[in-house]
Amino acid sequence: MPDGHPVTGLDEVVHQRVRLGILAIAHEARRVEFGYLRTQLDLTAGNLSKHLSVLETAGLIDIEKGYEGKRGRTWITLTRDGTTALAEEIGRLKVLIARVETPAEET
Amino acid sequence: MTTDSVSTGDDPHRLLADVRDLTGRVRRDQRLTWVALLVLAAVTLVAIPFDWFFLKLDCDDSGCVFARRGMLYYWPPALLLAYAAIAVSYVRAARERGLGARVLPYAITGAVTAVLFTAAYTAAAAYFPSNPPFDGGPMPFWWIVLDRLIAPWGLIGLALLVLSHLERNVPLLVFTLAYLVLVLLVLPTTEGMSAPAWVSGTNAQIRLSMALPQLIVGVVLLAGGIGFARARRSSSPAGGRSA
Repeated sequence: MPDGHPVTGLDEVVHQRVRLGILAIAHEARRVEFGYLRTQLDLTAGNLSKHLSVLETAGLIDIEKGYEGKRGRTWITLTRDGTTALAEEIGRLKVLIARVETPAEET
Repeated sequence: MTTDSVSTGDDPHRLLADVRDLTGRVRRDQRLTWVALLVLAAVTLVAIPFDWFFLKLDCDDSGCVFARRGMLYYWPPALLLAYAAIAVSYVRAARERGLGARVLPYAITGAVTAVLFTAAYTAAAAYFPSNPPFDGGPMPFWWIVLDRLIAPWGLIGLALLVLSHLERNVPLLVFTLAYLVLVLLVLPTTEGMSAPAWVSGTNAQIRLSMALPQLIVGVVLLAGGIGFARARRSSSPAGGRSA
């Protein structure tokens, strides 16, 4: 693999379709509720929880649990590191696409 | 429902497309365009009686001098209340949908325009009676457009431009541009338009000439609000989210 190839810089935590989706939604929404994420990403509660746990452990999101009336609600917000990680991942994806689409210059 | 995640080796094109799709959905779900337009329509229509009854009119053989006192009494608090109501509506609706809101810059822009209008109107009322612009001669069109821009109806358009940018809302951008063309270039919002010939009396004619442009602006905003509400309903039968 050539030195400086964008793949070498991929973050395994972020370079994953569901987790990237979570970060993208949380970034756009400022804060997002668990149920909204589950619906938009078409996941089971258990599976979404696993991905949220990975992101929280990596320090990319904050999870806040509370109640509205008798209804429990879980809100997810992006941390500063999460915002940076999302921007870097999108930048790397664009570089990857650019390299794939200009094969003649690379080979 | 998906029960496991997709592999990390996903196609970059697809990942980026997913990100764009998801962010687009969030933006659509955060929108409450029809509420903003209906509130602004209501504020515009309610202004008409204020302008009518608080219009100070002095007529003699040489002509009439008028001052639209109602605009200063009504619009600054009305704009502030309207933008506060719109911001609260956005935040509550977004929260119910499980999202945060991105309306604060719009509300701040609206509040700033209210202050700008008050300052400009007060300064003009103090300065121009003794220093008429262009020596009291005919005013160039750019001056008239500027005058219309800093009037409440022009400022509403500027704030709507900010909202369309925040929401990345192309239909609202198109509506706002058409609205701005109407209130800046077509409708004589600050000068008044010709009253129908059947209206008798200078007093009533002048008041009506001021009311008609406001009525048109209010109806346009109302129609826009209804249009966006209908578009929302038709595009999302499960609860309406996109307009």
